[in-house]
Amino acid sequence: MEERGVNHLEAEGVAPDFREKHDRLRRETLANIRKLQRKFTIELLAAALFLLLSIAALSDFAFFPSFNENIRAVLGSPPSVNMISSVLLLYIFSAILLILSRMMSGSGKYGGIGHVGYLAGFYFFYHFSGKLPENFWAVFAAGATVLGLEGYHLWIYCSEEIEREREVLAFLAGRPAGQ
Amino acid sequence: MFKSLTARAIIPVTVSVTGFVIVCCILLYAIMKTDMINDVIRYETNLAQTIVKSTRYAMRHDDRESLGNIINNIGTQEGVEHVRIFNKRGLIMFSSTPGEVGKLLDKNAAGCIECHRGPVPAATLGDMQQARRFFDEKGKDVIAITAPIYNEPACYQAACHVHKAEQKILGTLDIGLSAAPLVNNLAVMRNQMVIFSVMVLLVTIGGVAALLRRYVFIPLKLLVEFTERTIQGIDQEIPPGGTEIEKLSGNIRSIVRELNSIRRENAKWKKGE
Repeated sequence: MEERGVNHLEAEGVAPDFREKHDRLRRETLANIRKLQRKFTIELLAAALFLLLSIAALSDFAFFPSFNENIRAVLGSPPSVNMISSVLLLYIFSAILLILSRMMSGSGKYGGIGHVGYLAGFYFFYHFSGKLPENFWAVFAAGATVLGLEGYHLWIYCSEEIEREREVLAFLAGRPAGQ
Repeated sequence: MFKSLTARAIIPVTVSVTGFVIVCCILLYAIMKTDMINDVIRYETNLAQTIVKSTRYAMRHDDRESLGNIINNIGTQEGVEHVRIFNKRGLIMFSSTPGEVGKLLDKNAAGCIECHRGPVPAATLGDMQQARRFFDEKGKDVIAITAPIYNEPACYQAACHVHKAEQKILGTLDIGLSAAPLVNNLAVMRNQMVIFSVMVLLVTIGGVAALLRRYVFIPLKLLVEFTERTIQGIDQEIPPGGTEIEKLSGNIRSIVRELNSIRRENAKWKKGE
């Protein structure tokens, strides 16, 4: 495909520095495509990490050794369950607004790993207050919503950007876009 | 399918609203469940205090027959699974289940361990710490509390009694109520919340989808059909639409007019040739 583009330029007698620029542009375009694909893969990895964390949380982190009394004393008493729940509600509300505003502006920013960190925090706070079994599904639903929305946004964004980059590649190859 | 304009408009709204409503409902349910269990425990604590006060006279007069009758009668009340009084050593003195009388309780058993965890037994415990929830031997879900029977001046000053003033606790009352009404109420509340959530979701998503379809998707579809027919050279009226869509229609109208005039010019040139 790319060779055809180079041959096409040679056949038309394009000067060598133009060909160099074309080659550089093509390399940059291919690098951009790889970057976009990697971006979406990282988002998928974040979702997989959240699933693993949720599986551990489902059993109330039973297979992890529990902290001894001294460490618990250093950590202090956990916040009240109502406070954790209020913060969780505030978190999902602001995360949804943030992702929707990114969708509106067409921004490619994403916070997959950051969201997994926040959700892990909620799991641990509920675990230390002894109320994880009652609130597990709330955190899981919040994570599924935020990561699902973020994944959908990133998928649409990356697909569009990759499509644009492919159009550039097609142009450099001297073919009409979409072929 | 997921990249179409309809999907892009509907999916984020659906996911956002559904996720937010589900999280709110789960958190609300967890808070209400905790509140309802705490209410049951408070009710049981008051009931235990009432029983202790009601039996005080019989205790002071060492009237074991009356005391046994009171405990038996309370045990026949609907929803009361067990009532028992045991002494400081853990020996069951009175019980609504006759076979239990005279048995010794293990200090490590649920309901005892809360006070007997340390080397010195705790003399006071909060209402919620006194409570425990378990399935009894009949498989019934029970919420039980243990209320201490304190040594009062009337007890250790009475001529007939042997309790010393230093002895803080004389015994313990253990009462267990069936959790079935609570479980039923929670199930009803859960079902109502699910129905309410589904209704909210249907109204929100249905409303957004209907409005988008009426004001965006149908005018856009008409415009797409219009542009396709224009490309084929069919002359037709611009379809109606909303303000923005009408503006777009106006622009397309200008383009089509230009296109048609170019087509006519071309036709004239061809005829001239």
